[in-house]
Amino acid sequence: MLLEVLQGTEAGGFILLQDTVSYSGRHLLKSYISTALKRLHFHNAYSDPLGWTGNSAFTVHQFTLEDVSTLIKQTPQAKAVTLVIDSLSWILRHHDPAAVCQRLQALKKGGAVRTVIVLVHTDMHQRGTVGSIRHLATSVVTVAPGTRGLGAVAKTTRRTKSGKLMQDEETFSINEDLSVTIHSKLSHPGHTHVNTDETEVDPTANLTFNLRLSDTERQAKEKLALPFVFSKEKKSALLQPGPGSGRILYEPDANDDYDQEDPDDDLDI
Amino acid sequence: MFAELNSILNSSPESFKQGEFILVSDRQTDASFLIHHFLSFYLRGCKVCFLGLVQSFSHYSAVSQRLGVSLNQAREKGQLVFLEGLKESLGVLLQGDTSNGTPALDFLRDPSSGLRGLYDFVHGNIRGSEGRAEDWGPPVLMVDDLSVVLSLGVSVGAVLDFSHYCRATFCSELQGTMVILVRCEAEEEEEESDEGSERLQRGLTHQCSLTLQVQGLPTGYCRDIHGEVEVCWRGRCDGLQIQRKLFQYKVCDKGTLFFARGTSSAVL
Repeated sequence: MLLEVLQGTEAGGFILLQDTVSYSGRHLLKSYISTALKRLHFHNAYSDPLGWTGNSAFTVHQFTLEDVSTLIKQTPQAKAVTLVIDSLSWILRHHDPAAVCQRLQALKKGGAVRTVIVLVHTDMHQRGTVGSIRHLATSVVTVAPGTRGLGAVAKTTRRTKSGKLMQDEETFSINEDLSVTIHSKLSHPGHTHVNTDETEVDPTANLTFNLRLSDTERQAKEKLALPFVFSKEKKSALLQPGPGSGRILYEPDANDDYDQEDPDDDLDI
Repeated sequence: MFAELNSILNSSPESFKQGEFILVSDRQTDASFLIHHFLSFYLRGCKVCFLGLVQSFSHYSAVSQRLGVSLNQAREKGQLVFLEGLKESLGVLLQGDTSNGTPALDFLRDPSSGLRGLYDFVHGNIRGSEGRAEDWGPPVLMVDDLSVVLSLGVSVGAVLDFSHYCRATFCSELQGTMVILVRCEAEEEEEESDEGSERLQRGLTHQCSLTLQVQGLPTGYCRDIHGEVEVCWRGRCDGLQIQRKLFQYKVCDKGTLFFARGTSSAVL
């Protein structure tokens, strides 16, 4: 599903790319730009976003419906515009999250832009802020580093116009030419087994002494009668006194007749 | 300059990657040995602007002498611009007169104004010597350490704005380098707090291209191994592997030894 989102098959959507410190979502954003967009107009809000050096092209305070619409109208052949924001976290630091959501929604509904794709660093904001941006989005892609160092994992959630929700989790990697390769689809998200294909190791191999038995040795072992395992005949032979064996004569002694409940032998019950 | 660290980072004073933003962070240990390394590394041929907010000039001078670099000479030649935060702050706090003292430390008077004054100071010093800029290589900005301004009342957002502007000027425009040290305190609450050195460190990590995270050993104090360093390259997007390496280190009198985990000379 990640490739469908990246190739922009969904027109008129709001795609949210979430990342954290452990894996940067910017590479995926670049991949989207290179595959889905035909013409890229770059507006530099990086060199002077707060007006400190006095030569800014676009400041963060200009992120309003009017200013962004003017900017878009200035670009030639502006129809079916896709707005790419890298990164929304910057704007969220300087504006109230509610205002940002309102402006993004207004930009989309107002027809100035058709598709919006933004990059948000989830570990820089409170959960509520990220949650409100998520509500605006029709597709959410969360990237995280993959287990065992194999590329990265992307969890994609897509909401179609009919309201159906589709989710997917895939391992991917980005090549030199910014194309995305999907490695595997994990249908059970959240847990990877340790590889159980390993054959069991034979402990008697590779030793300096011999632990194995040859056939004759095995037969001799099985024939051996163990000292305290008795067959029926041996048991009866031992139990019955044979001729000449010692006999035990016993005469009960008064001291042996010890009653636990009457040690002095004076109860008359 | 530590030779082993140079080979780990694949750089040498003659050839190092330009436009890098190096973030050095530490948690419950002291990573300033890396600052001394980078200072002596870049003074081999670049102009360095050093914002020393936590130690005096003589401290760095004494340590650099052991590593073979003379800071006094560099300052006289104009190769090193050193902002002595501790000394200048006295002027700002005691006299309270706006005409005295540099505007660089304006945030001490008014923390809510942010670090714009500091940025203007840095910007001015790099631009000011435009005529002689060809003598030295690309400019380098070093800050030791940036998280101390958080305890002086500056917000995390203001610090991130400052580092963004420095990055736009030093790394992107002038193709120089930036090295920043932040120190994180272990936070007790598990909830993400809005202000705090952890959030600052995360924000700076998003902006940087190379991080060196220094931590003490999880098992406690050891005489022969002083801690672990995790080096993480962020700028690249290699096909499959994300570039991360872990080393242990021991700080000695004239340098630092780096070795792979478990291969300390005391253990082998």
